[in-house]
Amino acid sequence: MNHEKVEKHIGLMAILIAVVISVGGIVEIVPLMISKSTTEAAPGVEPLEPLQVAGRDVYVREGCYNCHSQQVRYLAEEVLRYGPAAKPGESVYDHPFQWGSKRTGPDLSRVGGRYNDEWHELHLMDPRAVVPESNMPGYPWLARKQVTADDVRKMMGALRTVGVPYTDADFEAIPDAVAGKTQLDALVAYLQSLKASDQEVTQ
Amino acid sequence: MNPTTGWLVAGVSLLNILACVWLIWATSRRKPNEVAEGAVKEDVWDGDLRELNNPLPRWWLNLFIITIVFAIGYMVVFPGFGHMAGVLDWSKRGEMESKLAQLTERREAKLNELAAFPVAEIASHPDARKVGQELFGSYCAGCHGANAEGARGYPNLTDDDWLYGGTPQAVVASITNGRGGVMTPFLSQLSNEQVSQLIALVADWPEGEPSGRQAEGMAVFRQRCAACHGMDGHGNQALGAPDLTDDTWLYGGDPDTIRETILFGRQGKMPSHKALLSEQEIKLLAGYVIGLGQ
Ligand code: HEC
Ligand code: HEC
Ligand code: HEC
Repeated sequence: MNHEKVEKHIGLMAILIAVVISVGGIVEIVPLMISKSTTEAAPGVEPLEPLQVAGRDVYVREGCYNCHSQQVRYLAEEVLRYGPAAKPGESVYDHPFQWGSKRTGPDLSRVGGRYNDEWHELHLMDPRAVVPESNMPGYPWLARKQVTADDVRKMMGALRTVGVPYTDADFEAIPDAVAGKTQLDALVAYLQSLKASDQEVTQ
Repeated sequence: MNPTTGWLVAGVSLLNILACVWLIWATSRRKPNEVAEGAVKEDVWDGDLRELNNPLPRWWLNLFIITIVFAIGYMVVFPGFGHMAGVLDWSKRGEMESKLAQLTERREAKLNELAAFPVAEIASHPDARKVGQELFGSYCAGCHGANAEGARGYPNLTDDDWLYGGTPQAVVASITNGRGGVMTPFLSQLSNEQVSQLIALVADWPEGEPSGRQAEGMAVFRQRCAACHGMDGHGNQALGAPDLTDDTWLYGGDPDTIRETILFGRQGKMPSHKALLSEQEIKLLAGYVIGLGQ
């Protein structure tokens, strides 16, 4: 082909550029969409419970991912500090995934069981009450907002649509699971659920 | 990656490289109807712009060739060609695991050496204290504060005042199994009057025999509180019931906080660290914590 033809026809050039770029996509991205290790849940990974789903929604809404990652990278130092390195199979029910890329605060993917619920409540209401040098903002309004079964039903419905295997029984359990709970309770429940798929959490 | 996907990826990668080779070959070849090198081409752009027929600079072309050679070499050595592992058999996970094993081994050697000392000696051993301090920073500082001075509901570990005791055994037990002091709520059990009398007593514990309102408070205290806090208010380390006669407060010694404590109870909870820390690490931490109080 004559390169002048490509240079003079911007439409053709655009198509060829797209072809070249999609080669990268085909070898890097497509295998991840069909490989078992990235599309099937790792052993021990269960869909979140209703209250945890509500908490995850708060996590996303309040933008916690702007300061916290949820992926322990394949570096020995990180594994020593946070726990087992992240596995792709741990994120299959995480829509949209909360891996994040900014660490103003520490990684949270293995924070479950590290502190008790009361600590999390104090810390989320006012981080400086327990960590004087913290620059994390407080979220006191979460304690005043209730979780409603209706909202959780919609959240779990959306998750089911994108492939999280919730059963009808899971949906029936929603009202009891979230009755009387605040968004703070929900967020704490979500934080306590963050752990490695093969990690035992005492407490 | 399963073999089918692997071959697909390998095929696409190979095609891509071949396409690059072809592209360089095809464009650097002279075409039959081309004007001589360095001469002005026929096209005119924008009325008066003309183009010389110059080839790519040689070094530039060489860079293209080098990237192609590099790509082939990379795929042979590293896991890049489909599902092939590459001749080095290198993997990110493998690299991480061997580094981790190396670090853990070094660390364990150090921990074994330091944790061989009795706790009382660790408390004053600079190297052991340093390791203890690092561990404290990653596992305990969130609750007890970076310098262990505590916060409301989280005991200060730098003083010599202990809820559960400051002996090596007690501190090791606190860390290993966690602690949970339970003070029951008295909301439905005491009258307003009795609560005020108790606050008068507890907020400012008398040195000698109590008098007036404090004496009334003491009568209620002996009946309702002494089972846990002791007849003389000095607390009970078996239950984690704090000494109420001193100036150290876990939740606070002002009347409002004391009222809240009495009416609604308290349930401080320190989680168990059995699953998170090795025995040696716990020993070093215990030594570090005890050293803080000395
Ligand atoms: C401005 C950045 C920022 C934002 C936004 C933020 N954090 Fe933090 N977070 C921090 C920092 C810094 C720390 C470390 C100091 C501390 O413990 O407070 C931290 C610590 C934490 C910890 C303790 C982790 C550990 O291992 O000690 C938790 C849990 C946490 N944050 C949860 C949240 C949640 C949930 C949200 C959203 C509601 C949030 N954070 C939003 C900065 C942030
Ligand atoms: C989730 C918060 C939390 C974490 C993390 C935590 N502690 Fe505690 N710790 C507490 C609380 C709360 C108490 C008081 C328990 C009570 O009120 O009965 C306590 C009590 C203690 C005591 C007993 C103090 C006394 O006066 O007898 C020791 C010792 C102690 N912690 C050491 C540690 C060490 C060492 C670590 C790190 C491995 C640690 N703690 C991590 C919350 C925590
Ligand atoms: C069942 C045992 C028990 C009884 C009965 C009890 N306490 Fe307590 N009390 C505790 C424990 C345990 C704590 C520490 C709670 C914690 O660790 O969170 C505590 C804490 C307190 C505190 C907080 C001290 C501080 O440093 O902030 C006060 C004040 C107090 N008790 C007063 C009383 C009074 C007054 C009564 C009687 C009405 C009483 N307690 C009865 C077990 C008891």
